[in-house]
Amino acid sequence: MKDKYILKKDHLLPLLRKLKKKHRLIAPLQNLHGDTLFTEIDQLDNVRLDLANQPQNSLKRFFFPQQEVLFTYRNPTSDSYRFETAAEERPPSLYFGVRPCDLSAVLYMDVVFSKNARDPHYLHRRQNTILVGLNCNAPFANCFCNATRNGPFIDFGFDLQLTDLGDRFLVEFDRSQGQEIIREWQQFFAAADETDVKAQYQAFLEARGRFSQQVHLDLAARRLADDQVPESVWQDLSMRCQDCGGCAYICPTCTCFTIRDRQTGDHEGERIRSWDACTFSGFTRMAGDHNPVDRQMRGIEKRFRHKLQFDMEKDNRPSCVGCGRCVNICFGGTDIVLFIKMTCGENP
Amino acid sequence: MTMPNSPKDLYRPRRAEIREVIVENSQIKTFVLAFVDRAHNGSFTYQPGQFMMVSVPHCGEAPISISSTPADSGTIHLSVRRAGILTAALHDMKQGDMVGLRGPYGRPFPMTALAGSDLLFVAGGIGLAPLRSVINTCLAAGHDRRITILYGSRTPSDIAFQGDLASWGQTAGVNCLLTVDRSEPGWEGEVGLVTGLFAQCALEPDESKALVCGPPMMIRAVLAQLADRGFADGNIITTMERHMKCGVGICRHCHMDDKLVCKDGPVFTLEELKRLKVMELRG
Repeated sequence: MKDKYILKKDHLLPLLRKLKKKHRLIAPLQNLHGDTLFTEIDQLDNVRLDLANQPQNSLKRFFFPQQEVLFTYRNPTSDSYRFETAAEERPPSLYFGVRPCDLSAVLYMDVVFSKNARDPHYLHRRQNTILVGLNCNAPFANCFCNATRNGPFIDFGFDLQLTDLGDRFLVEFDRSQGQEIIREWQQFFAAADETDVKAQYQAFLEARGRFSQQVHLDLAARRLADDQVPESVWQDLSMRCQDCGGCAYICPTCTCFTIRDRQTGDHEGERIRSWDACTFSGFTRMAGDHNPVDRQMRGIEKRFRHKLQFDMEKDNRPSCVGCGRCVNICFGGTDIVLFIKMTCGENP
Repeated sequence: MTMPNSPKDLYRPRRAEIREVIVENSQIKTFVLAFVDRAHNGSFTYQPGQFMMVSVPHCGEAPISISSTPADSGTIHLSVRRAGILTAALHDMKQGDMVGLRGPYGRPFPMTALAGSDLLFVAGGIGLAPLRSVINTCLAAGHDRRITILYGSRTPSDIAFQGDLASWGQTAGVNCLLTVDRSEPGWEGEVGLVTGLFAQCALEPDESKALVCGPPMMIRAVLAQLADRGFADGNIITTMERHMKCGVGICRHCHMDDKLVCKDGPVFTLEELKRLKVMELRG
């Protein structure tokens, strides 16, 4: 079959070893505590690559760190205020085992950080990046990427994409860097045949049928756009939201940030950028404590409208990728799935 | 028009020196600034309604609208009301001190569309700052239609931009009226809300554009007055003030529904604002 290859599972580690020679390698690893996290791999031999569980983190922080220094400044006398940018070395990086939700989130971030202005810090990290994806044969308990329409399988945006076929992976490429890897390391790849492609399609059909919850995102989005969400829904959500920001931090597409100065000496400091959450009451507060948004009541509404209404109107798709991480993290019971169910009149 | 800082320097300000500090009143100072980089200072330009992100050591940044006119090249005026930590620190700075600047950012006033219309400017307090840029730009360009300026201050000693007001008052074709909320000994002018000045103005709404800038309470009262007078929403223009961090349409602090004030604004027509849930219009 044209442009479809087979990588035997026995060949995966040898291939990664080769790729690691030229690239910083980041993949889902299980740590001592049993947590699966995207982690930069130091020694491939000493790690537990985990392709069975959903990584608890997304790729967000690798391109857009929770906190970063934009530049440093010095001000030894009042007429000598100076700004200096520190250059960060960024070797080519390969992200392996990226699920369709997290891949879609990176594609979304690419737009956020380049559409209105080109963000040099994000783009610098994003350049020289190879994304090797893994389709989801078995969606996890809180997943709803079928509703956000970016999974469980994806057919664009990756350099290489893997589908688990038991003893082997079916491999596809969408970008030239992926094609280049197949060409350079052809000893690991064989041409796929019709059986392999049929097996992939079968895996896709089975995966599609395995979502444990039905999330009517389109209906909720329509009701939001038509202002048909009952006020009682907003009231319930606002009352229960504990304002922890966990949903925004764990979310692979939440990219709001704040910028502030951190004084590091009598006459010097750093300008810091860090993640922010639009649900925080300080998010829109201006000097003099004037706040144009009632965050207590409206913060969570702003968040859901951005993801399910405003981005939907702009791009005809929500900026929620259905990864379900916020469902796990929300102890207030105000996550996006619950909101969608409340809005659709379902008993959550 | 110069581009904002190059992508590489998106968040890094350029150094600018305070050339002069003009005390407008007890709360407002105008800082006359010039970039240290002479080449940049010489080529720098902007349009009325745009703003700069101003850095003050250890205080971060704040968006400040430009109150000068691009015709006066060589310096930029930023008129700043003491409102929070950064502006208080800025107020303590003096001639020769250094700040950081990046910009200009934001959608400016539609200067071409304004050129062929009668112009009504209604401002309260610091709200005159961005309008001052428009007024002086129009006058420098030889605007040949009627200009009306209505300016409200809290007290006579709060009247800012006195030099400009005096000069506009003496310009042919310009009707400049002042009012104060509370009088003080020696004040013989109007007392009351700025909307009270409308009675003294001959306005032709179909031939006019109204530019309104001030505190939310004032904006609401003025918009009601303009509607009564028959101004179409598309001919009413105002500027929005929001908390901002990046100034370039990424961080989303200044969001207003699907709009970002830093990129889609800060200048909006009332027609545009009515499609949004905006606190200033709803109270």
